[in-house]
Amino acid sequence: MEVTETKDEHIIKTSGYAEVFRPRMMDWNATKIFASKNLRIAIRYPTNWIIWGFLPILWFAPYVLMMTAIAGPGTSEHFAELSGFNDFITFSVIGWFCYQFVDKSVWSIGNNFRWEQFSGTLEPLFVIPVPRISILVGAAVSDTVQCTLSAVVLLFASCFVFSVTYAVTAIAPIILILTMMVIALYGFSFMLAGLILVFKDPSVLTELVSNLTYVLSPVTYPIQALPASARIAAYIVPSTIAMVTVRELAITGVFEPLALLQAVGALGLIILGFWSLGILAFRYAEKWTKITGSLGEF
Amino acid sequence: MTETSDPGIFDKVWNRRGFRTEASAALAISIRVWKVELSYPLSVLWFIIMPFIWFLPMLIAGSAVAGGPDSAYLQSLTGTRDWVSYMAIGSAITGLTTSLLWGTGFSFRREQNSGTLETLMSTPISRNTLVWGQMLHNLQHGGLGVILQLGAAVVLFGVDLNLWGILPALAIVALAVIGLQGLVFAIICIVLLAKQGWMIVELITSTLLLVAPTAYPLAVLPPILQYVSRASPLTWSVEGFRGFLTDGLAYAGVVQAVLSLIVLDVIFVAMGALMFRYTERYVRSKGALEQF
Repeated sequence: MEVTETKDEHIIKTSGYAEVFRPRMMDWNATKIFASKNLRIAIRYPTNWIIWGFLPILWFAPYVLMMTAIAGPGTSEHFAELSGFNDFITFSVIGWFCYQFVDKSVWSIGNNFRWEQFSGTLEPLFVIPVPRISILVGAAVSDTVQCTLSAVVLLFASCFVFSVTYAVTAIAPIILILTMMVIALYGFSFMLAGLILVFKDPSVLTELVSNLTYVLSPVTYPIQALPASARIAAYIVPSTIAMVTVRELAITGVFEPLALLQAVGALGLIILGFWSLGILAFRYAEKWTKITGSLGEF
Repeated sequence: MTETSDPGIFDKVWNRRGFRTEASAALAISIRVWKVELSYPLSVLWFIIMPFIWFLPMLIAGSAVAGGPDSAYLQSLTGTRDWVSYMAIGSAITGLTTSLLWGTGFSFRREQNSGTLETLMSTPISRNTLVWGQMLHNLQHGGLGVILQLGAAVVLFGVDLNLWGILPALAIVALAVIGLQGLVFAIICIVLLAKQGWMIVELITSTLLLVAPTAYPLAVLPPILQYVSRASPLTWSVEGFRGFLTDGLAYAGVVQAVLSLIVLDVIFVAMGALMFRYTERYVRSKGALEQF
């Protein structure tokens, strides 16, 4: 009789998907659906895209003004010796452009499950039969689309405000390096997503990671300005090599195949390392929250 | 039915009026926020290291262009060669400003998220006291941050403070807090009307910090921003604070800084309090106090 049918039997009868379902490492269909869901929400708030193109100028301008007050307009002998570039404003603007992707990976992708938790949709998401990494990659893709648009607005606005220009002769290698940097940052944000799943309150942890990556990244100063021990740590940040390479290509416009190959090789290793670490850390965190029953806790 | 040992207690509480009552309520709010904050150990740790981590990238960027502890260009603009001290003292007040604007400005939103805003609004104290209580907490919170940052600057980077200037610098901070409170009232109005409104608040705070001479003198700002800067209480607070801590009682710009601050304090507080009064009434009349 129909009324004595158990809930599980009912699900199997009504859903063909449940019958054919087999656990997988990655579900690209889920990634696509999740990315388009996030983008659909983002499109509902068009001012966000524009604001994020201009707001970082207010955070970045104090650095330029401070450096100008100390060294005089635009250039410094010591800065040129350290970095190999004469103009610290041109140097910093491109650094801030690249840093937008790092910032996004920390605040948006890393915190993605926290935002789902605030919306009350985390537990339903965790019971759907798709690998959690597929959801995270989906969130990362949609955030990358939004970040790229805002970062391009920021770059053009900054070029206008600070009267700086860049060479576009080596645009293809720049895009290649930026893409590799973004992929490496995905691994970094998976790791953060795991940490936030365990520690919940994201404000302190995210602030700490965000500020530390900023201090270590060569955004407004070259790596050589850091103490020797911090320089090693700086190269662990997935964006450092990319930032140095993109800056070189964008300012000089000179394409050196060997230097590019070295950067691509190093970034490849970083991608491998961060993805392995990120997936492992996230899986462990997911398992831990499920065992302790703290998934829905704030 | 709820029974109390003193049946007249509600009448007593309801009829309490005057400055002492409001001050005691403000203090109780401040202590309550401390208790909440201290229950998150990671937040406490972050609070201790935050001023240092914020200051670090500016110090490294400064070193990258200066190449040493002196700057001839800064001397031509301000009269001082020691850029580390100039920047460390000026930027110490940034944490306090952020704490006041964000901490107090978003206090109503936090209460709303916790579901306690309506309860608080119906307690027999002035609505302004709710804001002043939060401000009192953030003044202590941000003030401790200033002490930590200046302490770290003295111990780690050899910043030289003029001890005679400490008390007058504190008086400047008091004047700064009054002016900033006017801005806080305006921010609370945005939060009450727009609910989230963090982007507008971020824009106001970032603009205020950009035009303030925390790590650079006004001379490096474009002319139009220099005019905006002079109309901000934060500008004169930073100038006065740094002036006293650098030159002590011999600070030459004392009259200009103090007079400007007093005038701006009156304007900002009057405008902010008026805005808050009308916005709070408007939001209550619309029944939108608990709306998200």
